[in-house]
Amino acid sequence: MGMRKYILRRMVGVIVVFFIILTALFILFRLAPGDPVSRMVDPSLTPEDAAYLIDQLGLNQPLGIQYIYYLKNVFTGFMGISFHYGQPVTEIILDRLPNTIYLFTTSVILSALLGIFMGKIAAWHRETKIDSVMTIVALFCHTLFLPWLALIMIWFFGYRVGWFPLSGMISPEVWVTPGTSSIIKFLDVLHHMALPLLTLMIIHYGSYLLIMRSSMLDTLNEDYIITARAKGLDEKSIRDHHAAPNAALPLVTSVGLSLAFSINGGALTETVFTWPGIGRELVFAVSSNDYPLAQACFLLIAGVVLMANLVVDVMYAYLDPRIRY
Amino acid sequence: MPVTSAENTFSAYRSSRFHFLERLKSGWLVYRENLLGRIGLVLLACFACMAAGSFIPPLIDPIYHPMSGVDPLISYSTGPSLRHWLGTDFIGRDIFSQLLTGARIAFIVGVSSAFMSIVVGTIVGMVAGYAGGTTDTILMRAADVVMVMPTLLVILILAALFGQLSIWIIVLLIALFRWPAVARVIRSQTLSLKRRPFVDAARVTGASCFRIIFRHIMPNVLPLALLYMTFRVTSAILIEAALAFLGFGDPGTVSWGMMLQWVWKTGHMFQAPYWLLPPGICISLITLSFYMVGRAMDEVLDPRLRKEKALE
Repeated sequence: MGMRKYILRRMVGVIVVFFIILTALFILFRLAPGDPVSRMVDPSLTPEDAAYLIDQLGLNQPLGIQYIYYLKNVFTGFMGISFHYGQPVTEIILDRLPNTIYLFTTSVILSALLGIFMGKIAAWHRETKIDSVMTIVALFCHTLFLPWLALIMIWFFGYRVGWFPLSGMISPEVWVTPGTSSIIKFLDVLHHMALPLLTLMIIHYGSYLLIMRSSMLDTLNEDYIITARAKGLDEKSIRDHHAAPNAALPLVTSVGLSLAFSINGGALTETVFTWPGIGRELVFAVSSNDYPLAQACFLLIAGVVLMANLVVDVMYAYLDPRIRY
Repeated sequence: MPVTSAENTFSAYRSSRFHFLERLKSGWLVYRENLLGRIGLVLLACFACMAAGSFIPPLIDPIYHPMSGVDPLISYSTGPSLRHWLGTDFIGRDIFSQLLTGARIAFIVGVSSAFMSIVVGTIVGMVAGYAGGTTDTILMRAADVVMVMPTLLVILILAALFGQLSIWIIVLLIALFRWPAVARVIRSQTLSLKRRPFVDAARVTGASCFRIIFRHIMPNVLPLALLYMTFRVTSAILIEAALAFLGFGDPGTVSWGMMLQWVWKTGHMFQAPYWLLPPGICISLITLSFYMVGRAMDEVLDPRLRKEKALE
């Protein structure tokens, strides 16, 4: 089976799964107690507006037709009007999406790099003090309760020491002042991002460290390491150029598998730090019974998770040809 | 005398079924060597004592009841005192007593939902591995779908639709979304077991699929399932705590996550470290200790790691 066929098969799989999720959500929204119409149309709208919206969403049609309307609306990006904001939910989530992407990708990349680096060192010094201290600290950080760590971070770095802002993503006074250069704005965002980023890194680097460590231990027993040693290469180059790159391979899948876990953590982090992202919006929508917004956020997150898994699978198949066969 | 293959088969079968206690004992000898494993067990024992002791304070005086016990003299949050060892919360309830009850809830949530997900995961894994073919494909595809879903957010959506979830529904939902990893591991274990001679022996004597799976394969995958249970416990506790923290816990119970939510939502996080610190430390420590126990058990079950140790 070639690479192209493998990717095609996986893509079909992802589409099927997305349809299953869409359908499950459709059924759940109609199965839940209460009136399905009032769940998608804000009860406080004027009758004319409500009638228009009901018509657009197909809520006055029989169930089968409603489903068709629903699918059409999801793919054309019309998923109702948010109760709280009074705006189309698609506009809201597209506005929040970049913020989540900034925080999330930065934290995944930085914690993976930190984990790989420290895991490499720990495996290299296996069964010594360095190794056990690093492993224990990683385990400890990995099991910290994320919202609590976030609160402690805010309390210490934000309140006690006062180095970082307590919440939000920007300082309005910096942004409304005319003539602020974009570098200052960028630094302002970075300043706000520091604490949530640090929190996510503390929680996530540990799992990368542990995986990298055990994978590196396996790699160090391989024949090509003995060959490299027999060639008289120095230890540092064996570690960094022969063992580490091969040992880092399994991390690709672990990034994919831990994605669901990281997304939970992302939503919690965004909520505590009031970072204006998708996860916080979902939590907020659920707490304020803003059903259209909650539905859209959830579908977006599910779609992103599926796509990311697809990318990870394809990447791994590319890196390790055995997977394809 | 050379060991015949039949004898070999028989001893494998016997050791898998009857020598469970001896295996447990030799496993314990390996486990005992692991410092982290011992620390984990001691910590878990402490938490178990807390959970058991949670019934005592309300018996001493109703003002120590974790939910309804409001101190008549105090109507705001106060620091630790002789009367309230860890202080009181925003309406004068005893934090220490809430902390003890939290341990009980954590155990109930963690162990029962981990147990359920292990049961589902083990059965799915064994059936998929033993049956193979289409059954295997369908079950494993289903596992993949459930696996990539962020459990916390799925439960949030369900909470939005169905209103306040009770603690048992939360336990059930967590179990429902946390079985796939177990199923995967058990499946691969089953795949290797079903090629062993004792399974063939059972088959030629006319045992049904059902009997082979539950009488012959299951005893061999149970240790692995038990190992995975410790990891499921941690994730169940963390998910319940996160739900409670976000305000979707069962309003009829006190959990550590809910205590943190109270600190956070009532704006006491800067003034009341005596209230902010204990629940967070407890959640983190209990998950850490289950994790350490799990890793020590992993070492017992994975001979490869032991050999590595023996070599050095």
